[in-house]
Amino acid sequence: MAGMSDRRFPWLLAGPPALFLLLFFVLPNALLLTASAFKSDAQVLTNELSGESYAFIFGKALYRAAIYRTFWIGAAVGALVVLLSYPVAFFLTRTRSRWKGWLIALILAPLLASVVVRTYGWWVLLNREGAINGALLGLGVIDEPLVMLPSSGAIVVGLVHALLPFGVLTIMGVLAGLNPNLERAAMSLGASSARTFVEVTLPLSMSGVLAAFLLAFSLAISAYATPTILGGPATETLATLIYKFMVSLVDWGVGSALGTVLIVVSLLLLWLGTRLGARRAGPGAA
Amino acid sequence: MSGWGGLRAMVAAVYLFALGPIVITATVSFNAANQSRFPPLGFSLRWWAEALGPRWLGPLLFSVELATAASVLAVLAGFPLAYAVARRQFPGRDFLAALSLGPLALPALVTGIGLLQMLHLAGLEALFGLPALVLGHLVICLPFAVRTIGVSLLSIPGNAEQAAMSLGASPFTAFREVTLPLVKSGVFAGASFAFVQSFTDYSISLFLARPGSSPITVTILSFLEYGFAPTLAAVAVLTMIVPIVLIGAVQRFFRVGDFLYETRH
Amino acid sequence: MTAALALEGLRKSFGAGPVVDGIDLVVEPGEFVTLLGPSGCGKTTTLNLVAGFQVPDAGRIAIRGREMTGVPPHHRDIGLVFQDYALFPHRTVAENVGFGLRMRKVGRAEVEQRVGEALGLVQLAGLEGRRPGQLSGGQRQRVALARALVIRPSVLLLDEPLSNLDLKLREEMRLEISGLQRRLGITTILVTHDQGEALVMSDRVAVMRGGRISQVTDPVTLYNRPADRFIAEFIGSMNFLPCLTEGVVAAGAVGSVVVEGQAVRALAPRAIKAGTAALLAFRPEQARVASGEAGELRLRGRVVRVAYLGGRTELHLEMGGRPCVVDVPSGTVAAEAGEEVVLAGPTSACLLFPAEL
Repeated sequence: MAGMSDRRFPWLLAGPPALFLLLFFVLPNALLLTASAFKSDAQVLTNELSGESYAFIFGKALYRAAIYRTFWIGAAVGALVVLLSYPVAFFLTRTRSRWKGWLIALILAPLLASVVVRTYGWWVLLNREGAINGALLGLGVIDEPLVMLPSSGAIVVGLVHALLPFGVLTIMGVLAGLNPNLERAAMSLGASSARTFVEVTLPLSMSGVLAAFLLAFSLAISAYATPTILGGPATETLATLIYKFMVSLVDWGVGSALGTVLIVVSLLLLWLGTRLGARRAGPGAA
Repeated sequence: MSGWGGLRAMVAAVYLFALGPIVITATVSFNAANQSRFPPLGFSLRWWAEALGPRWLGPLLFSVELATAASVLAVLAGFPLAYAVARRQFPGRDFLAALSLGPLALPALVTGIGLLQMLHLAGLEALFGLPALVLGHLVICLPFAVRTIGVSLLSIPGNAEQAAMSLGASPFTAFREVTLPLVKSGVFAGASFAFVQSFTDYSISLFLARPGSSPITVTILSFLEYGFAPTLAAVAVLTMIVPIVLIGAVQRFFRVGDFLYETRH
Repeated sequence: MTAALALEGLRKSFGAGPVVDGIDLVVEPGEFVTLLGPSGCGKTTTLNLVAGFQVPDAGRIAIRGREMTGVPPHHRDIGLVFQDYALFPHRTVAENVGFGLRMRKVGRAEVEQRVGEALGLVQLAGLEGRRPGQLSGGQRQRVALARALVIRPSVLLLDEPLSNLDLKLREEMRLEISGLQRRLGITTILVTHDQGEALVMSDRVAVMRGGRISQVTDPVTLYNRPADRFIAEFIGSMNFLPCLTEGVVAAGAVGSVVVEGQAVRALAPRAIKAGTAALLAFRPEQARVASGEAGELRLRGRVVRVAYLGGRTELHLEMGGRPCVVDVPSGTVAAEAGEEVVLAGPTSACLLFPAEL
């Protein structure tokens, strides 16, 4: 095969797929960035540079609130995902049970379940006539049913549920990469199991914790279905607004501006992650 | 280990949290009454009968077709990308690596609206539906194939092909006899993850589908406007069974699980 | 005097079979004992049992007279140096070394002082602020050592600490570590498969095989009087020449055998039945060039290869169909491949082993 060691060969190989990605991934996103900066007339982009789309979304309190809401939901989801997945990841990497493989598969099940399977269950649990209200009323804990849906809280619960597997996988990757001798060394020097965890295991798994948080955060802020199903008109997020403006209102300028906000934040999170050393695999022995 | 009992209790609670709603949805689908209640009233298979009817089976098969196309193309396109990045040193290699994993870094939603605008601007509205969906899904599925195939390639010693060539094999034969068999698991894992990604996607599908040519996820979402109904529960559980069966089947032959720690998303 | 470490009837199995199968050992305070054996002999598991990372199925462990059953590792007052050093990558050298002191609630000023002392002992003074990632392999090894020594443990456990170092460094560290140990007088257990290390560093060596201790004695006795054929071959090199016994030989007695038509008397560590095939064993450096004196055991062989090793030369011979290696100072024997040579075998210091294992 002529030119296997040719300098151009890799480009010959990877050229077509790379071109595909440039065309159908980079270009559309670039288009979005530019579309947001032009004055738009429904679907038609004019040639006038204008920040009116941005002025619009940042000007109206309604939309500012939606953006702010999106981010605090993201942060809450990130934190809760980390809090819930750490113990599971720790358990799964340390357990010697023969059901380990099955347990790992089970915690990943929500990944295969479509958003509807997940949120449907939450809806059944959380709505006014739902199972949780039924139980609480029956036990006499409350007199009136709690209104848990629609709300930002319900969105947080739904998203935590959906993104838990990502957290578990990320943190498992880091914990599994830790040198077991490090913990034994700490114990041999007089640290109890609890002390060893605090002094050695936890600090060394922080890169994974950070990676899990950032991952959950970035997935949460771009989630569409869960906020749509478990939220309502009072709990708009960036994603639901984007849908509204792109499809229902057909105001592509504003839609693109909102999309650009998402892009910028996502890139920021990526950069932040690299700076802070968020990693998905653990440090080895020293 | 002291405290292990407490840990187990915590872990059990998290598992309950994770699996509970899914189980609930499944039980609701067997509800006799037309209500989404838990605990369910009575037992009935009527919602399942509806779920397997033409109105839902159509989109379901559409999704299967779409996901199959996307995963096959993802592997075909991802292989050369992964190979170039893993095997060769060349200027621009880092850029290529970043590009191929790019779609994982940005939300699919945003790529979706970008593609929506681009196709309109280019006057290619006719592509909406299956063609546009295939394109969009290929974009978001490609990184999975690149990643798993890349991992497979890196696990083969770099000079294995060179060793074969020194023994007289042509570059193509060396590739076929040495590299190809060893990346099989990476290829199948990549195809599986790509399939699941495409099958469960709605973020990009929302903007590229058209009535009559939309995947099951989008169809379900649009029906949710009318509220929850046990039929939807049955359909939703059905959509869960397809990926599970697929992964289960592939896992038999290839250790898909090995690639999980590398998988993001 | 209470033993520093006492192991009694230790047993441990993992599924397939016993990995540690009845270990009895008493280590006196200040002694340096090596557990030596090939991989799989159970030496690392024994170490883990002493450290408390594994629980024995049977048997007792006592450190300074204190029963260790049910006592977790962090209460055992041990110091461990791991094969991969296991330094905490997120802590500085000073923090690593001071870790054990912190766990023992030692005051900050004293920690600083003792850490400085310990680092001085291993010749790493001034590196307090570095991180393990910035150190060389040899430096990391010393930090690991300092970290284990600074807490003045009752027993120091070394798990193949030198195997990741290159040859020169390894030889240097052997002497440094044993020198340190002698100065500080800390009871030490070394686990290794490297018999050179064992011979150089130890007061006593316990050779392990199949989960049991085959022989425990000082290095000189071990080298000159291995208890069985396995040990004889494992420690250094050994030549074996087939011979025939003349009568029963009791264990530990001197027997008469016939080799190449000559009568030899040799010590038999194990009992040998009358008239059975046996092997006469001697070390390569115990043979010399034949000087023609009467009474010498004369061995005739054909040179297969000459290996020049600088100060010494190895002659690989074929003697009566059997391979034989002789180690002579270079320049004393002028022989080439294919030539016949006659050597004088050792008259005393030969050993006798039964032919079947």
